[in-house]
Amino acid sequence: MFGGFGRPQPSSAEKIAAAEAEMDLVTDMFNKLQQACMKKCIPREYREGELNKGEGVCIDRCAAKFFDVQMKVSELLQQEAQAKGAGGGMGFGGM
Amino acid sequence: MDGLTAAEQREFESRMQKKQMKEFMGMFSHLVSHCFDSCVDDFTTKSLIQRETGCVSRCVKKFMAGSERISQRFQEGQTQMMAQPPPGR
Repeated sequence: MFGGFGRPQPSSAEKIAAAEAEMDLVTDMFNKLQQACMKKCIPREYREGELNKGEGVCIDRCAAKFFDVQMKVSELLQQEAQAKGAGGGMGFGGM
Repeated sequence: MDGLTAAEQREFESRMQKKQMKEFMGMFSHLVSHCFDSCVDDFTTKSLIQRETGCVSRCVKKFMAGSERISQRFQEGQTQMMAQPPPGR
């Protein structure tokens, strides 16, 4: 993950912390996605105990758009960073 | 998560289990709040009336069904995103 340009090997604690941080990021993203799409797609009346077709389709599309927004935000932030001459060192892309 | 030794992997998994427990408790707590807010509004009596009980039941079922579907879409989305090269590189 670090490419090892003559850096010392990360310690156990560092490796575990990095893996944990990655997991936290994924979990957080999932929770945000869930909150957002439940709010947008499931009305509060609870007339029936299952998802109806409309709600299901809404969720599918909501999730797809959420990921698109994520990519878009990631790209834009990178562009901003590069424009400011930060050298594009630390990329957010892919996660 | 590559490059972890067996011992490190065990430590990582133990932490993940604790997190999962915490997540579950959080989800439970959120669900209680949410279904209460959505369903309970009759305070002429101390016990839940039938309408409210039915609503809570449907609320929980629907939430779980929605959550499951979102989980599936999330996993698909993640897989897709990992397969793509990161932008700007």
